Amino acid sequence: MADHVIVVDGLTHRYGSVTALADLTLGVPPGVTGLVGANGAGKTTLLRILLGLVHPTAGRVSVLGHDVAADPLAVRARVGYMPETDCLPADQTAADFVAYTAELAGLPPREARRRSSETLYLVGLEEERFRHLGDFSTGMRQRVKLAQAIVHDPALVLLDEPASGLDPEGRDQMLALIRRLGGFGIDVVVSSHVLTDIEQTCDWVVMLDAGHLVRSGPLTGAERSRTVTVEILGDAGAVARALQARGIPVAVDGSTLAVGPGDDDLFDAVCDAAADTGAGILRMGRGVTSLEDEFIARAGNPPR
Amino acid sequence: MTDGVIYDRGYRPYDGPRRGRRGARRAVVKDGVRRILGLRRKARRKVLPWSLIAVALVAAAVFVGLHFAAGSIAAALAQGLPRYGELFDFYSRIALLFIAVTGPELLAPDRTRGVLSVYFSRPLTVDDYLASKAAAYLLVAGAIYVVPQAVLHLGLAFLSDDGFFAYLGANLDVLWKVPVVAVAYLAIHGAVVGVLAAHMRRPGMAAAAFLGVVVAGGGIAAELATSNLPSARWLALLAVDDHPRILRDWIFGIDTQTFAAERVGFEPWVSAIAVVVVAAVGAVWVRWRYRRLA
Repeated sequence: MADHVIVVDGLTHRYGSVTALADLTLGVPPGVTGLVGANGAGKTTLLRILLGLVHPTAGRVSVLGHDVAADPLAVRARVGYMPETDCLPADQTAADFVAYTAELAGLPPREARRRSSETLYLVGLEEERFRHLGDFSTGMRQRVKLAQAIVHDPALVLLDEPASGLDPEGRDQMLALIRRLGGFGIDVVVSSHVLTDIEQTCDWVVMLDAGHLVRSGPLTGAERSRTVTVEILGDAGAVARALQARGIPVAVDGSTLAVGPGDDDLFDAVCDAAADTGAGILRMGRGVTSLEDEFIARAGNPPR
Repeated sequence: MTDGVIYDRGYRPYDGPRRGRRGARRAVVKDGVRRILGLRRKARRKVLPWSLIAVALVAAAVFVGLHFAAGSIAAALAQGLPRYGELFDFYSRIALLFIAVTGPELLAPDRTRGVLSVYFSRPLTVDDYLASKAAAYLLVAGAIYVVPQAVLHLGLAFLSDDGFFAYLGANLDVLWKVPVVAVAYLAIHGAVVGVLAAHMRRPGMAAAAFLGVVVAGGGIAAELATSNLPSARWLALLAVDDHPRILRDWIFGIDTQTFAAERVGFEPWVSAIAVVVVAAVGAVWVRWRYRRLA
C-alpha cells in the first residue's frame, strides 16, 4: 500500500456501546475516491478520524504518509476538509473567511488573500466574494465551503456530502468542480449517500454499511454505465425493436423496457422510437445502477 | 480588430512558505482583534465597541485637562481628582460593558455557526485556539485599562513641577502596578464571560448573564455574606467583581471603600488567591468545553 494516500488498518471506533466503525482495513489510492453508505454508516466518523479529530478505539490510520495518531497537525497542514454541516460565519465576507482559513493553514496573510480570490474565482464566486456569507444561498455556501477546503493547496481534500442541499443544477456544478480537483493534482475523498454522484465523479469507491466495509475497489466502466427504464403504453416489442435497430441494447419485461447502458441521449432515442412506432410512454427514468445493485446485494439496503 | 484571448485562470498550486501552528495562532489573534472591534464586519457591529473606546479616550483627555486646570499635581489631589488607583473605578465600568458586548462575540459565534469544524481541521489545537482568543481579548480589553492610564501618566509628567523625566523616574512603580491590577480585572471578567460564552448560543444573552453574574450576583453575595446564614462570610468571596478592586486598593495603598470580603474579615491576599482561582477554574472549564466540541 506504499502508493496509497490513505491506509487504514484494523480501524475500530465505538461511541459508548455503539460501534461506528468495525475493524476496517483498506487503502485509498490517488485520485477521486467515493465514500458511500447510508446515514449513520460511519462516513463522517471515518473522515474525522482521518483528520485526527477523533481518536479511534483501535487500529492505525496513515494519511499522506503521516501516522494520524502520532502527528495529526502534519496531516491537517496538507489536508482540506469540507464539513457536511453549516460552518460559515454570517458576518464575514467570503473573501475574508476563505483568506482567514488559508492563514489558519499557515499561509502568510498576503498569499492567503491572493489565493482566496483565486479560489473563489475557481468555484464561481468572484463577483460575490465581498458579500457577507449570511446573505449567500445554499449553493453559494457550498461553494465557499469547497473554496476554504482547497485554498491552502492541500494534497488531499475530504468532502463530506458536498452536494447536500443543492438543486439538480447546483449538484451537477458541484460534482463538476470536484472532478476538476482531480485534474489539479489534488486527491479527493468525497463522502455521499447518493450513489449516482459517486458514479459520476469517482475512480475508486469505499462502501460502508453500519460501520462495516462492504467494498473498497475501483469503479469499472460497467458500473458507471446507466440504463433507462421505460414503461410503454402500446407495443413494447415494437419500441424495443426500433431501439435495437439503432444499436441500443434493450431488455423487455412485459410493457417495461430496460434500455442501455448509455448516456443522456438514451432518453431522446426512446422518445424517437416511441414516436416511430406509435407507442406511448407511461413512465421513464434512470434505471437502477449496477453500483446500487451491488450495494443492495452486499449490504441489504440502498444508501438513501 | 484585435485577437482576444480568454484565459482560464484555473488552479495554481502553492509552493510558498507555510508557517504552521505559529501562523495559525497569529491568524486567530488577528481575527479575534477584528471581531472584538467589529473590523471588516457590518457597521452596526462597530457601534458599541468603538463608542466605549471613544468614551474611554475622551475621559482620559478630560482627566488630564482637569489636572492641568488645577495648575499642579498637588492642587489636583487637593481637589479630589482621581489618580491611577481611583481611575480604575471608572475604567473598570467601561471595560465591564466593553467585555459584556465583545467577549461573547469573540467565542460564541464560532461555536454556534459550526465554524470550529473548519478551524480544527487546520493545524490548530484547541489550546492554540483558546490561547489566541485570550491573547486578542487581553490585547484589546487590556488597552482600555492601560492606554488611558498611560495618557494620564504622561500628562501628569508634563504637569509636574519636578520636570517630565524626574516625574517618570519617581513613579516607576506605576509601570507594574497598573498592568497587575488590569490583569486582575481582566482575569476575573474574562473567566466569567468565557464560561458563559462557551455555553450560551446568543451573544446578547451571554452579555446579560455576564452583567448579571458580575454586578447583580456580586451584590447579592455581598448582602448574604453579612446575613445569619451558616458560614455566610464565605459568600463574600462570590462577589467576584470586588476581588480586583480589593487588590487595587492593596497595591496602590488606597482605601476607596470597604468591600464585602473586607467587612467579614478576609485579608487582601485572599482576594489575590480568589482572582487566580476564578481565572484558573474559568480556563479549565472553557478548555474542557472546547475539547468536547473539537
